[in-house]
Amino acid sequence: MTDDPTIVVGVKQVPDDDEVRIDPDTGHLDRASAPAVLNPPDRDALEAALGLRDAAGGTVVAVTMGPPTATDVLEEAVAMGCDDAALITDRAFAGSDTWPTSLTLAAAAESLGADVFVCGEETTDSSTGQVPPGIAAHLGWAQLTYVEGLEPEFDDDRLVARRDVEGGYEIVAADLPVVVAVAYGEFEPRPAGLHRKLYAETEFEPLELSADEIGLDDEEVGIDASPTEVGGMETVEPVERERETVDTAEELADALADAGVVG
Amino acid sequence: MSRAEKAGAVDTDAYSDVWVFVEVHDGDVMTVSWELLGEARGLAEDLGEDLVALVIGEDVDDVGREAVERGADRALVADDPVFEPYRADPYGEQFRALVEDRHPAIVLIGGTHTGRDFAGRVAVPAHAGLTADCTELGVDDDGLLEARRPAFGGNVLATIVCEDHRPQMATIRPGVFSAADPDPDRDGQIERVDPVVDERDTVSEVRERVVGDTADITEADRIVAVGAGCDGDLGPARELADALDAELAASRKAVDEGWVDGSRQVGQTGKTVRPELYVAVGISGAVQHVEGMNDSDAVVAVNDDPNAPIFEHADYGVVGDLFEVCPALVERLREDGLVDAADAEPEVKP
Repeated sequence: MTDDPTIVVGVKQVPDDDEVRIDPDTGHLDRASAPAVLNPPDRDALEAALGLRDAAGGTVVAVTMGPPTATDVLEEAVAMGCDDAALITDRAFAGSDTWPTSLTLAAAAESLGADVFVCGEETTDSSTGQVPPGIAAHLGWAQLTYVEGLEPEFDDDRLVARRDVEGGYEIVAADLPVVVAVAYGEFEPRPAGLHRKLYAETEFEPLELSADEIGLDDEEVGIDASPTEVGGMETVEPVERERETVDTAEELADALADAGVVG
Repeated sequence: MSRAEKAGAVDTDAYSDVWVFVEVHDGDVMTVSWELLGEARGLAEDLGEDLVALVIGEDVDDVGREAVERGADRALVADDPVFEPYRADPYGEQFRALVEDRHPAIVLIGGTHTGRDFAGRVAVPAHAGLTADCTELGVDDDGLLEARRPAFGGNVLATIVCEDHRPQMATIRPGVFSAADPDPDRDGQIERVDPVVDERDTVSEVRERVVGDTADITEADRIVAVGAGCDGDLGPARELADALDAELAASRKAVDEGWVDGSRQVGQTGKTVRPELYVAVGISGAVQHVEGMNDSDAVVAVNDDPNAPIFEHADYGVVGDLFEVCPALVERLREDGLVDAADAEPEVKP
């Protein structure tokens, strides 16, 4: 029986998708100049975690792995209602792909005594969705991904989820501790309260933890522990289209018939 | 916590063969698994190695047989009630044991929700390199897997490689490759492997599984896709889809709003489709969506915003109110005999 559960929420600072511009010389995206924001799917994760606390009590702690500037997203999490937040930061983390990233967050989950670790579906900057199952695998915990709704059964040390699966859904009961990845758009994130916001921005200081402090050696993380590397980039040539604009549905029908698309 | 040895690099020469994870639910195989077998056949031949189908489930001998007919040299079949329905923990444990025992060089997994759930779990104990949502695969001169995926909103194709770790794993977006037709005369070995998982050791339980909408938009010749502009009223788009005998699909926005099931989502986090005709109704045309439909033969866009990016990616565009344009288009197509006349009982689509 888990009466005072610790719910940890993993959040990430990402470049603002709407502000990323293409470098005209290289054709690559210039992400460095884009403002950094809280990964949008993480708002759903925060709401899911706070909703669990509303229903079953306990403590919600936001955690992020990143440079000291990532404190901004922790402040946002605290403003939304998280009780506390931790910044996992170390130069040794540089260049981590999803393998050491999930190891680092797994170690953080253990250090913080998590019963439930909630994540967003994926991050908008890399879109892999691999980290939540990775955390669960490192810890040997149960995992619940693409979650649309949560029902705590903490008296029986279980968390029940409705998961989105191709063509329908399933209801899965997982033993605690568990890693949850919530489906983007399924939770309505609550607005930050004014007092809470003020507190987050002025008084609040997150806990700061290094690799060593969460029990990791430098060589277990970062670029040396990352199996994947980017072997190359090529710009994709745009597909040529007719781009013919017609004024009415009737003209469209005629154009489609002339082109042999219908009929 | 289980952790791999320092940095997890392995003797890569000890690893060979291309594995494809065949995703089965209640006896039904996800089409993407057959697509991967078709594509991986070529990779295995380039490498001079075997193509192996990994089938995990209950009563799945037939699936192993079909995998051979669709190109596998061998099928490894783990058959046990503990594997139906899918759960990450028993599947992950079985896979871990098999990789430890057999040392595959490459493992390919369909980028469905189940595939991504599984891949993320199993890559960790193997300290494998895992690339998400690939749209192209190849091998270089050294036999290294080149997993290509769109990055930065689809403007760039990134090649991801994994030099020192094995297996090299990738999830592949559904609909990108073509499934090979089964050849009943193809020979191949079907090998039963011992389940290593006991129900008592599992940490999750599926209490209910409800799957109704099993339409596969990647197979459709014609698609009518809806977006935010429909504002929850799919009537006009459905009517157009019925008239054109098209499947209904959707942008991410329409799926997130709950108007259309996620299995019908087109784009970066959905499916890739390449129909003869793609009609985008009330879709603005974000790059993430365009990426999933850009290989369609003909693209039609209906949108009331003349500046919507979708018009840049369309062959024919109508700037107008979809609630007027769609019915008028249906009427004209029928009048001109370009589509069949209205059914007395319109087909009910989800």
